[in-house]
Amino acid sequence: MTGALLVIIQIAGRRCALGALEVKSVIEIGTITPVPRAPHWISGITALRSQALTVIDCRRALGLPSGDWPTDHRAVVVADGGHAYALLVDSIEDITTAAGEVGQVPGGFGAEWSRIANGMIETLAGPALLLDLGSLLAGPEALSREIETLV
Amino acid sequence: MDDLLADFIAETREMLEASSGELVAWEADPADRARLDAIFRFVHTVKGNCGFFDFPRLAALSHAAEDALADCRGGRRDPDGPLVTAVLAIIDRIAAMVDAIEAGEDFPEGGDEALIAALDVSRETPDDMATDGQRGGDDTATAHLTHPPAKALFNPGEEPATLARRADAAGAQRTIRLPVELLDRVMSGVSDMVLARNDLAHRLRQAGNQPTIDGPFERLTTILSDVRDAITRMRMQRIETLFGALPRLIRDLSAELGKQVMVDLDGGDVELDREMIETIRDPLTHILRNAIDHGVEAPAARLAQGKREIGLVAIAARQSGNTISIVIADDGRGLDEDRIASKAVATGLISSAERAQMSRDRVLNLIFEPGFSTAETVSNVSGRGVGLDVVRQNLERVGGSIKVTSVPGEGTTFSLQIPLTLSIIAGLTVETGGQRFAIPQSYVEEIVQASSSALDLSWLGESALVTFRGVRVPCLMLGEVLGLPRAESETGEPTMVMLRLASGDLFALAVEGIHNHGDLVVKPLAPAVMRSGLYAGSTLLDDGTPVLLLDVANIAAQAGLVSDTRARVLAATTEDTAAAETTPRAMLFTDFSGRRAAVRLELVQRIETAPVSAIDRTHATARVVIDGLILPLTGLPDGPLPARRVRLLRLGDGTCDLLYAVREVEDAVELTAPLQAVPEDPLVEAVTLIGGVPVTLLDAHALFARYGEAPVAAERTRCILPEGEWARTILAPLVASAGYDVLPEGESDTGAIGPDAIRIVFEDVYEVAEALGRDLPGTVIRLRDQPDAPAGCATVYRYDREGLLAALAAASRSARVSARAGEAA
Repeated sequence: MTGALLVIIQIAGRRCALGALEVKSVIEIGTITPVPRAPHWISGITALRSQALTVIDCRRALGLPSGDWPTDHRAVVVADGGHAYALLVDSIEDITTAAGEVGQVPGGFGAEWSRIANGMIETLAGPALLLDLGSLLAGPEALSREIETLV
Repeated sequence: MDDLLADFIAETREMLEASSGELVAWEADPADRARLDAIFRFVHTVKGNCGFFDFPRLAALSHAAEDALADCRGGRRDPDGPLVTAVLAIIDRIAAMVDAIEAGEDFPEGGDEALIAALDVSRETPDDMATDGQRGGDDTATAHLTHPPAKALFNPGEEPATLARRADAAGAQRTIRLPVELLDRVMSGVSDMVLARNDLAHRLRQAGNQPTIDGPFERLTTILSDVRDAITRMRMQRIETLFGALPRLIRDLSAELGKQVMVDLDGGDVELDREMIETIRDPLTHILRNAIDHGVEAPAARLAQGKREIGLVAIAARQSGNTISIVIADDGRGLDEDRIASKAVATGLISSAERAQMSRDRVLNLIFEPGFSTAETVSNVSGRGVGLDVVRQNLERVGGSIKVTSVPGEGTTFSLQIPLTLSIIAGLTVETGGQRFAIPQSYVEEIVQASSSALDLSWLGESALVTFRGVRVPCLMLGEVLGLPRAESETGEPTMVMLRLASGDLFALAVEGIHNHGDLVVKPLAPAVMRSGLYAGSTLLDDGTPVLLLDVANIAAQAGLVSDTRARVLAATTEDTAAAETTPRAMLFTDFSGRRAAVRLELVQRIETAPVSAIDRTHATARVVIDGLILPLTGLPDGPLPARRVRLLRLGDGTCDLLYAVREVEDAVELTAPLQAVPEDPLVEAVTLIGGVPVTLLDAHALFARYGEAPVAAERTRCILPEGEWARTILAPLVASAGYDVLPEGESDTGAIGPDAIRIVFEDVYEVAEALGRDLPGTVIRLRDQPDAPAGCATVYRYDREGLLAALAAASRSARVSARAGEAA
């Protein structure tokens, strides 16, 4: 992982990292068309050229309220399973290089964060949580589903 | 006939390509029965087809090869090397002849007899011929062949002459094979181009008129729409191509099982990815087999239950966004919940405790589980070791799904959902709660303004009902379905979009406004959004705003509006009579002179919008082109037209259509006030009051008398053909070109045909009818499958062209005589 490019973003006041290869682009977010009856962490859909992006509020996808933090006017575009998503975050900080391997911390990151994070990674900008895109996009319900099946 | 010929050539060539591998494999191992069968089918089909095209040489060649192969199949002869060589030589000759036919050239005379003789020689003197066959080109019998034929197939490069001719011939219609992935890329590129064009159009409109740009832009638009049509057609195929084979399949199956089954096909114009059609062919066939074998009861059992002795299998296809839904419904005995459950418990699929918890629906859907088969005795029709689990697997592999519902004693309905990976569909944009949504046009039956009293919106508890054409129809409020707040500035009544589901159920969707309709490029949505079950995809409007496409079928299903079994076909007649006893109604509009006028609603077929360019005013009566038909048009103002597009009411009297140009269509209204006759204006039936305002009611009789153009009266003898692919593609053109009107088999049951119609039936069908004591009305021509007639049998071999035409002529004469006798009496 050392030397890999990472996009550093802030989600709910925490520093997080996404692999730069996973990030297609960073766009100015335009009008978001709400999707009635969709999960609350889906803000809606927005257009990127001829493509429709599903807009995910990362704070809500973590199961946190979104009102407590500022929202960047830019969004990170990622793709997963053939669908493109725009991620709403507090702010998009920088692109930097990983300075170590993915590691864990004793005691974990807390239930919500552990679900979406692969682990901690040291970067030139300081330590950050390396996000797992699939789990982030699965939304907070995924966690409760896991718990149900465990019970 | 030309189309048919092209089909014949394409089909023959396709089979040649497909069987070329078989040919080579057969040569390697002449005893291989499967190869032999494949080649036999090829020559058999060629023989069958060319009997109708006056290609005696092709017919003779294929007939000879068929005979020889039939002997092999029948074990009367061993397929040896020389025979293989001789057959392959004939197939090569067929290919060359087909090339010549396509290019419109004459194929060089002679040589055929030698080829045919080679077949027999190999039988009579196998040893001699074996050496001859190896020498090939030196032999006089195969002198025209420069190489042994199999070699020619292997190394086409060695035959430059043949290749060159092929290239020439290909000028008529060339085909190439492309990887599907490449087509996908081109298609998505074109759809992005459509969106870019829409965006540009939007910006140009904002920028105002710019003559220097508008011209080229119009041209770009035209080109783009042409390209898009062509691209779409590359991949898409009407589902008709799949449906076409079903009536014959059902006929054969029901004959085999001693049942009587009628098939009702609907939605054949739905277009589907070619590959997808191939994917669903087997599942569909399998379900049909099941329906006829296990579902539909034997005629006696049906009669005992008070059903019609003829079973009904209805197949309907509908497009909804990115999915096609196909519904296969039979009116048979239905699924036996208890038997399925006990079987599932016995095979260990579920435990008895689980059984007790399960709803009927879940029990029924156990039939798709691996290792489940309800038939106690495995028949040779449906029990082929392939169960419904494989059907479901195949559908799920392409992202589709299958469900079953059933009412005991009333029938079973299978619903298949098949995705379209990428599609451009016609859609309607509606608005509710300040947000726009798209609805696939294919569902939309009609748009009705709820303000008209005829709709009669009434609330029963939590559900709403509207009255549409005399029938009470459930109504969903789109805003409520989506959980949207009601718009603040709600003015007036909602608009009702009447939607017809694939199951035949009709319901109304109340929206706050209709925007426009047009082609939408549907893109898939993220799985998390799809899970809400309300949306089928997303699309972009002209201005680039994304819009959600509603999943109409699912919304209706969630609201419980889909009936379990489809009674559409049987119920249709009762619906019509129920609707008849209402107040006369009229379509209210403003014409170009500003007059408020109305025309009786029964006359209005639909409302059309035509561009001015489609209107021709050079004659006394103006005409307009709609859907490729030239129709009379009236109601235009004297001067130039005020708009680029004109709204037209399409009026029909049952035989001819007439268009009436209007400035604005208002609404459908009830004619409750008395009608005041206006004798001084022949085109006006009366003046009446609607909402306190005088309205002119047009006189339809006078309109049609003055402007209507009756179609040329048909004086030709009508001819009813048997059902099936063969009759439709091979027999029908022959009969039609001989000057008879061809009626499809389905219509003959309505009793609408006169006694002067000629009926062509297959001998086996005739025998069944005779055995059942049912007299077939009209003059009957019986067809047999074998060239040789059994003694004393009044049948015609189905490829005997002369015989058939003579029989038709004779039948036509006698039919006319009897019809005249009937009139005289």
